[in-house]
Parts: sequence; C-alpha cells; structure tokens
Amino acid sequence: GAEELALLEKLLGLPEGNKYGVQGERKVPVLQTNNSPGLTGLMTIAAHLVKQAKKDQLLGSTAEEKAVVQQWLEYRVTRVDGGSSKEDTRIILKELNIHLEDKVYLAGNIFTLADILMYYGLHRVMVDLTVQEKEKYLNVSRWFNHIQHYPGVRQHLSNVIFIKNRLYTNAH
Amino acid sequence: MGFGDLKSAAGLRVLNDFLADRSYIEGYVPSQADIAVFEAIAAPPPAELFHALRWYNHIKSYEKQKASLPGVKKALGKYGPADVEDTTGAATDSKDDDDIDLFGSDDEEESEEAKKLREERLAQYESKKSKKPAVVAKSSILLDVKPWDDETDMAKLEECVRSIQADGLVWGSSKLVPVGYGIKKLQIQCVVEDDKVGTDMLEERITAFEDYVQSMDVAAFNKI
Repeated sequence: GAEELALLEKLLGLPEGNKYGVQGERKVPVLQTNNSPGLTGLMTIAAHLVKQAKKDQLLGSTAEEKAVVQQWLEYRVTRVDGGSSKEDTRIILKELNIHLEDKVYLAGNIFTLADILMYYGLHRVMVDLTVQEKEKYLNVSRWFNHIQHYPGVRQHLSNVIFIKNRLYTNAH
Repeated sequence: MGFGDLKSAAGLRVLNDFLADRSYIEGYVPSQADIAVFEAIAAPPPAELFHALRWYNHIKSYEKQKASLPGVKKALGKYGPADVEDTTGAATDSKDDDDIDLFGSDDEEESEEAKKLREERLAQYESKKSKKPAVVAKSSILLDVKPWDDETDMAKLEECVRSIQADGLVWGSSKLVPVGYGIKKLQIQCVVEDDKVGTDMLEERITAFEDYVQSMDVAAFNKI
C-alpha cells in the first residue's frame, strides 16, 4: 500500500515530500495533492509517479505493451491483494509460472512497473515459500530473483534466497 | 565450464538447464556473455527447451544494442555450469589453476599456433567482408495461422507453412496459442526481404493448404 509507494518513489528518484493516507477498511492508498481531492488507488498513484519521474517507458512503449502492463497491475490489485487464502496464492503462483515460462519480464522483454509492483506485492508470499515450492514455481522464482537484483528495487526488503542446485526432480 | 557443443542437441540441453533459474548467462543484466553464447547457437532452440528459447528470444530483442552491452566476450568455455567439461578446444585455459608450466617451450608453440589462427581468421573476415551484400530492407512478420477446428493436426500445419520456400524468406520460431474451444492457432515468425516477399504472397501460399488452414492474419509487422 502506502509503504511500497514510498519505495517506488525512491526507486524512481523522485524527491520525498508526497503525502500518503489510507482510505476505507481495505486501506486503499490516497495521494494528497494541493489542489484536488487527491488520487486514490495503488495503480493510479503508481502510474502517476512514473510519469512525474518522466520514466514513461516503465508503463510500456507500444500499445500492446501498455495493455499488458495494465493487465498485470490490475492482476496485482485484484488477485494478489484481494485473495490471500493458501489456495488463492497457489493459483496465482501457478498462473504466473505459466506466463513467465517464455518471458523474462511480465511484459516480455522490457522491465516495467508491472514487474516492480508485482515484486512488492509478492514479496510476503515468496519469503514464506519452502525450497520445494520455489522449485515448483521455477519461472516465478527466476523472475523474482532477477527483479530483486534490479538496481534500486529491493531497498530495505529482505533478500529472498533461491538456491542454485535443484534438489527435487524436474517435473516439467 | 562451457556448455559442450552448442551446435548439438546435448549442448542446447545443458544451456536449457543452466537457464532454468537464470535470466542471463552471467549476472542479472544482458552482457557480452549473452551475446557470445547467442552467436554460438545456429538457430532458435526448439520449443521443448523452453528456458533456452525464452532466453534466446529475449537476447534477440537486444540485437541492435549488442555492441553496447557491458562486459567482455570470453571464450565459450568460460561460461555455463561449473561441472561441465570444456570441450571448446580453448586448451590454453585449462592449465590456469594447475601446476606451474614446466615446459616453457609449450608457450612458444601455442603462440605460434595462436598467431597462425589469428591470421587465418583475419583472412576469412576480409574475404567475408568483401562479399557482404549491400544493406537490404527487411521486415520481421508475425503470422497467425488458424486451423479449421481443434482436431486439425497442428504439427502438419506447421510443416506445411515451413515448407513454403522463397528467395528472401526465412522462417523463425513459432508457438501454438490457444484461442478457445480447444482450438490453437500457429503463431510463426518470419523475416522477409521487402523487395522479394510480400504478405499477399505469403497469404496466398499459406491458405493454399486448404485441408489445414482456415485463414491467416498478420499479427505483427516490424521493419528491421
């Protein structure tokens, strides 16, 4: 929510000073601005920050890329934040694993806001995965390990360890 | 280190396993290491080696920037899993950590060979350079080929498409994309020389396989 927006600000190199609040029982983040009621919603605020930092390429360059980035941002807010049962998590990891099989980043070949917010959103999940689960969702692990090493992304979040040698047999 | 012979299926399998949990050959950004390995591979890895294929397509997207990627290209034997034998024949490297080289004369011989090799390579490069044709306008096209129903043999369909040969046409990688109701469409890449091959011609020839192909669309068209 609001904490990851602060992380995002730092990653984007924006000066501190934006004020965040939360709204409602679902703790939807709100960005307070001087002359308007304020921007509401994680995706909305994040996209706004990206444009403020003039790093629009993080939202995708082609129309198709932009749509894919939006798709995954929506996924993050509705599926990852919305459902938190063990079963929901399992389904999310399975879907991401399939999607990432032939892609390095969520949007394909470019690093975007989708990767950043999905990383922050999934961090609490990845921290608790067992070694076997990390191997099971091999593509998610590869992607997560890659993103957490991306300069400026991880900041103070804990580094999730992924061991190199496969302990369990490959089940493709 | 090394992947074995990257032109063989076994070498590609080693590469595939290596890339299962890595985005790049070295570190977390694309570098000359990736370019070195990319250039050693003859064609896109087959679909079942999906980690290698993912990496291949990703590195391909950096083709225009390859000269500016960080790092220095090393011999192929320097990359890859530590427990694979280096079969690239870069014999000078394997002696590194071992005993002191007692036979000084070896160095001389090797440098003679290295010199000869270098001169041969230079000669090859020169002749290749002089034969290089003028820059041709090319485009990369992504085609969607749709079958009649879910019972259509997609492997045969792909075979038919790839059997279309033309001067200035090169088929690339392909994949099957589900579109619903169990039906999959074939998405296949090709590179064409604009002067010689056009999408009309491709459409004509692909839809000529009436038994398998219901229709064809251009999904993406990019100038190279």
